[in-house]
Amino acid sequence: MSGSPIALVMVATIVFSTIVFALLAVRRIKMDPAQYIVGGRSFGTVFLWVLLAGEIYTTFTFLGIAGLSYSAGAPAFYVIAYGAAAYAIGYFLTPAIWRVAKEFNLLTGPDFFETRYNSRALGVATAILYFLMVVPYVALQLSGLQILLRIAGYGAYDATVSVCVAFLVLALFVFTAGLRGTAWASIVKDVLVLGAVLFAGIAIPVRFFGSPSAMFDRVLAQHPQMLVLPAGGAVHGTVWFASTVLLSAIGFFMGPQTISAVYSARSEESLRRNAVLLPFYQVFVSLMIFAGLSAGMIVPGLKGTAVDQSFLLVVQHYYPPWILGLVAAAGALAALIPASALLLAASAVITKNVAGDAFGIATGDAARTRLTRVLVIVVALLALGFWLTSQRTVVELLLLYYNGITQFAPGVVASFLWRRATALGVGSGIAAGLAVAIPLAALNVAPWGVNPGFVGLAANVAVLIVVSLCLRRLQPSRSGV
Amino acid sequence: MRPMLRLLLAAIPIAALSIAVPLVNRVEPRLFGLPFLLCWIVGWALLTPAFLWTIGRLERRW
Repeated sequence: MSGSPIALVMVATIVFSTIVFALLAVRRIKMDPAQYIVGGRSFGTVFLWVLLAGEIYTTFTFLGIAGLSYSAGAPAFYVIAYGAAAYAIGYFLTPAIWRVAKEFNLLTGPDFFETRYNSRALGVATAILYFLMVVPYVALQLSGLQILLRIAGYGAYDATVSVCVAFLVLALFVFTAGLRGTAWASIVKDVLVLGAVLFAGIAIPVRFFGSPSAMFDRVLAQHPQMLVLPAGGAVHGTVWFASTVLLSAIGFFMGPQTISAVYSARSEESLRRNAVLLPFYQVFVSLMIFAGLSAGMIVPGLKGTAVDQSFLLVVQHYYPPWILGLVAAAGALAALIPASALLLAASAVITKNVAGDAFGIATGDAARTRLTRVLVIVVALLALGFWLTSQRTVVELLLLYYNGITQFAPGVVASFLWRRATALGVGSGIAAGLAVAIPLAALNVAPWGVNPGFVGLAANVAVLIVVSLCLRRLQPSRSGV
Repeated sequence: MRPMLRLLLAAIPIAALSIAVPLVNRVEPRLFGLPFLLCWIVGWALLTPAFLWTIGRLERRW
């Protein structure tokens, strides 16, 4: 079986067919900035569901959850929990954000801060932060893609060149098709990922253990403590679990690409319907836990980042190449589709909030679309260069993404709930949150078992309130609303 | 329209999936073959849409 090119050929064929399909679907669309960046605010419930599922479930869902289940067990359950909890928040939060976006014709996440707090400085500052967070996150998707291609090639080649080619094709696709293209490509991606997840979570346990239930019996027999959490403040303990679920649920809609998807909705109702429907997706996510635990019994002994490959190795060793090809193609799309949305959001942020608002460049419609398109290619090259040169820094900068995105939440929520919040308060809050969360996360310190990001969030809220109240004379609070 | 009730309905699944977890952190009883903790979490992920749908009904949206 080794050396068979069938799996790799399938991955390449499926990825490129998906891109061609999406290009054909959008060929008659005329691109102005709102159409290009947020799909003309026209996506109905179903299309939006497809896009959100396409963006939210990345290679982490595919490889990371299985890897965490493989190595740690019960702590991986947090992914199911926070996904569902996030939509209970999103039911209220996303329609409120959408209303503001519609009324003021917003294109990016930083636009929201600029408009609600009437502060260009806050808009530019959040834009730069978003950009710094997104580039390493794209690089992470590329690492995921490389793992998949290596395994699909049965270890015969390194895949670096293939990753570069696939990613540049993707950048050209985003250049042409915008957010609507990403949404169409998400249809293929969602179907393939669902198929792969059902296979991994059901077919693998059935073949090796008889049933998922018997698989759990085996896990419990070998590792009696693996399917419960350590108590209290221990590493990955119950305190960590609860704080991580809350932190991730609060930050869920703050990613620049997720905000774009919220803006792309046709109405508040399509967002509410999605909040009701999307938790069902978590049930499929739980199947990746089955896959990871199964892999722990079948191919034990993997260490470090290799655990992320665990269930793919099972497929590679025990299944024919065409199944490996389908599973790897699903994984490749799970890396590329979210990366396309991230590229677009990062480019829009620079075009609108930095070039446009700070320097007065490209403020007309045609110029703005053109600059965003050019920047898609530039950001893609930047992310690629970053990925090729600095594997180690990626991990450190990812701390900025995971801990940083959530720090935008207090400012967004306060803009609806607390009239006295000021731009200075929100900006200082974000700075304080990052200053607390990032060093704690980098040093791997979790006070009383609490997730460092959650500690940062508490500091953020405290500073937001104190600065808004104490420095009122420096800055009048917002009018209207 | 009854805003406290609506917020409470959203808070119940959030609490069940986060701060309630120390109370259900065990393997037995196994339900549908799943360890109890996992079954609790998946069960609440399935119940969350019901709670959100009920809020929508209270708001007369559907």
